Amino acid sequence: MTQPQTPYSPHPSRYTELSGGADPGRGIEAVWVSVADKASAHRVLPDGRCDIILRFCAKVSPINSITVVVTGPTTRHYDVVVEPGMGFAGIRLRPGFFHAILGLSPVVLRDGNLVGEAAIGACPPLADLCAEATSPDDLPGRLVAFVHHHIALGHALPPIQTLSILSALHASGGRLPVQDIARMQDISTRTVQRIVRDATGLPPKSYARILQFHRALRLLRDHHMRPSEAASEAGYADQAHMTHALRDFGALSPARLADVTLVTLGD
Amino acid sequence: MTVRFGYTILYVPDVRATIAFYEAAFGLTARFLHESNLYAEMETGATTLAFAGEEMAEMNGLAIRPLRAGDLAQAVEIALICDDPQSSWDRAVAAGASPLSPPTAKPWGQIVGYVRDLNGGMVELCSDMTAIA
Repeated sequence: MTQPQTPYSPHPSRYTELSGGADPGRGIEAVWVSVADKASAHRVLPDGRCDIILRFCAKVSPINSITVVVTGPTTRHYDVVVEPGMGFAGIRLRPGFFHAILGLSPVVLRDGNLVGEAAIGACPPLADLCAEATSPDDLPGRLVAFVHHHIALGHALPPIQTLSILSALHASGGRLPVQDIARMQDISTRTVQRIVRDATGLPPKSYARILQFHRALRLLRDHHMRPSEAASEAGYADQAHMTHALRDFGALSPARLADVTLVTLGD
Repeated sequence: MTVRFGYTILYVPDVRATIAFYEAAFGLTARFLHESNLYAEMETGATTLAFAGEEMAEMNGLAIRPLRAGDLAQAVEIALICDDPQSSWDRAVAAGASPLSPPTAKPWGQIVGYVRDLNGGMVELCSDMTAIA
């Protein structure tokens, strides 16, 4: 889940990724915290990731009402309404590690979330994350310990082939056809489709389109490319196709880009 | 304004594994490995051969066709000048390089052989042309 600062509210919260939080070998892409300082709507862009999030009220101490949320891989944007003082601590899972950490297939969570009891029902150990905390500062460490513990329990880690396929998709900005990936790995396209779907919860074409969308956003926003140039470099047939993707995935346009945090495998 | 050629950087799936391979297969040594394991430089003199993790491409907003052993070789090669191309080629193949073409004498007097590295990157092992000139 890409945490947003939205077009509705440019800086609605203090969203921070903790330095040193990434631990790729154990499936952690980032550890983050966010506390809303005013009522706002956050736009969440699809990024093909799954997060484990602890939602809490930062106005009370100790923190005694924590709700766990597991977000699935999304294919379209959605808005989250937050109130002042609402806090979140989250851990963004590296693609491919969802099942190893939670014992669930990300496929079942496509375009959906598990909230509170539903999350705990699907993965009972998540209940431990909701125990009272002295401070919000305790929660990121709690999430990291949860992931470390479950990785150590020996759920099957993603095979090297799976990570190689996902890395190729990311490195190419979603431009590498499934047929080419299959040829590189000396497996069938059907096998590539199954591997990507099982690892991310999304078919490879959907996953690739999300990566392509993110790269287009980066080219427009960070590289200051003209829309026609960005569309070409990102691999769209033309600018109209890129504009269509920006609208579909993020309700954005080349002239109206959100101040979002764009994530990569290397963060 | 001056410009000089400083680096050839290969984006690779695993930087540490690539260093280990280049050390074992070609006798090069690493001179720098970033703590992230996403960037390394080999000791190759004034022009640096470096390896970057594929993740770096995405982080830099780039898109690449990644190196894979099963894919068609990319339109670029690393050329390593060797005292004895045949011995170097034998050593590389013994260390796991895929043989492409054993060292042979070219019409211009140079000995040239080719292998593919662990990632599918093309490496030329050749004699020194300046010695011929």
